[in-house]
Amino acid sequence: MNVQRIHAIFEKDIKDFMKNMMLITMPFIPIVLSLMYTRFSDGGVLPISMLYIIVGATYSAVTSSIMMTMMAEENEKKTLRGLVQSPASYVDILVGKSLVVALVSFTSLLISLLIVGIDPFLNLKDVIALLLLFIFFLLLGIGIGLFSKSVASTSAYIMPVMFLFGFTPMIEALGIGKESAVSQVANVFPLMQAIHVHENNSWVSLGIIALWSIGAAVFAYICFKKTTTDD
Amino acid sequence: MENSIEVSDLHKSFGKKTAIKDVSFHVEKGEIFGLLGPSGSGKTTTIKILTGELTQTHGKVTALGTDASRFSTADYKSKIGILSDNSSLYERLSIYDNLKLFCKLYNVPLKQIDVMLQEVNLHEERQTTVSKLSKGMKQRVMLAKALIHKPELVFLDEPTSALDPGNMAHIHRSLQKLNEAGTTIFLTTHNMEEATALCDRVAFLHKGELQELDCPSALRYKYSTHAFHVETVQGDRLVIENVPENANRMKELIGNGHVKSIHTDHPTLGQVFLKVTGEELVS
Ligand SMILES: Nc1ncnc2c1ncn2[C@@H]1O[C@H](COP(=O)(O)OP(=O)(O)OP(=O)(O)O)[C@@H](O)[C@H]1O
Ligand SMILES: [Mg+2]
Repeated sequence: MNVQRIHAIFEKDIKDFMKNMMLITMPFIPIVLSLMYTRFSDGGVLPISMLYIIVGATYSAVTSSIMMTMMAEENEKKTLRGLVQSPASYVDILVGKSLVVALVSFTSLLISLLIVGIDPFLNLKDVIALLLLFIFFLLLGIGIGLFSKSVASTSAYIMPVMFLFGFTPMIEALGIGKESAVSQVANVFPLMQAIHVHENNSWVSLGIIALWSIGAAVFAYICFKKTTTDD
Repeated sequence: MENSIEVSDLHKSFGKKTAIKDVSFHVEKGEIFGLLGPSGSGKTTTIKILTGELTQTHGKVTALGTDASRFSTADYKSKIGILSDNSSLYERLSIYDNLKLFCKLYNVPLKQIDVMLQEVNLHEERQTTVSKLSKGMKQRVMLAKALIHKPELVFLDEPTSALDPGNMAHIHRSLQKLNEAGTTIFLTTHNMEEATALCDRVAFLHKGELQELDCPSALRYKYSTHAFHVETVQGDRLVIENVPENANRMKELIGNGHVKSIHTDHPTLGQVFLKVTGEELVS
């Protein structure tokens, strides 16, 4: 880790982000969604699952999607090779980029939660769950971005990531019974576990989210190693 | 003399296809070394092995005293510069911002940006967005990027392929200056005049095998027919083979005062290229 190199990459990516019309609109998606939710609820309190859907929407449509697009573009345009050939380590490269995504994601999340009501999230375990979820979605974005090799092909992954991981609690709205296999599987997904953390104060659920993050880290690492050479 | 690059019995295959066959050579510290050869002969593959972008199938490769297995270390990376077909720029950013990134990554003072932009003749365009540049301009920015940290050793894969003669001459002067300051340059080119003008030594690669390696003048001498081209005062042009039997004839011509000019016939490096790689010159 080298702070100067991380800063150089952060600075470059912030500038690049600001000039990228496709990415700059993404942070507004959860904010608009939050505004719509509060209009429909007529000032009433939103159910917890709805609040976590806002979180999921932010992390999938902002965190994962932006990271995915940025990584895929670096890979496709071969600018990533230039970074890899410089003395910057892969940690420097990924941390520099992640800081940009973190800044954008947390700004978007904070505004959205302030709109729908941030109070339910204000306790230590919920905050830890939110951070672990962020890391999961971030690493998932890095992995998929490198794996899909081009910006055009990331679009095939954005929707599945949103529906599987971002809107998991919606499964209840599909009318599938709680005992069905699909529900059982969905229940282990990170966003559902975050709801468990909130409702049951469960350390186990935090551990499960951490496991998801570790899995995503391994996936991202493998994909990154593959891009550093032509072999 | 210390060597910057040492390659012995280098072999590289892609699946069943062999791209490099048992190639051995070395590059001396401080020289400009040209790797020449037809398209597909393995030049880029060789450069990629030397920069750690590809791993050799077998053979020993060292550069700057570093073994190929350690080419991915920050120490080696900070000492080399690379311009290859994998080089590119951030299209939405200005020339200046692109170079600023690399200055910071290599820990070079930002004033080096202006120095480099003068070297590649792009000082006026420093604030221009890269996506608005022509191909040759982009190539010059990538060259500036490759050289910004004054590397000990640079790899340039066809560095001037998109340049007009004026800018090419400008870049040649910059490269010579860099070389005089101590940088070893390893380059590939399809431009034989460039190789003749720049390179201390050149190697010819053909179908993955090293055919020749020497300084351009020695190769031109080696492939010369050694015939005398004589122009007489009467305006006749004679080609006289350089063999003992013709000694008296030459003496006679010169003694009679019939000779206006004599020169020996050295092929250009381009002609040497065609002979070495066995491709016929179509006239
Ligand atoms: N990644 C790869 N996979 C398979 N074959 C490859 C790969 N890279 C190069 N080759 C093959 O290796 C051979 C040498 O290619 P290389 O790119 O080194 O040629 P070159 O001398 O640089 O040619 P040019 O002058 O056109 O740039 C070619 O036959 C090419 O098809
Ligand atoms: Mg090539």
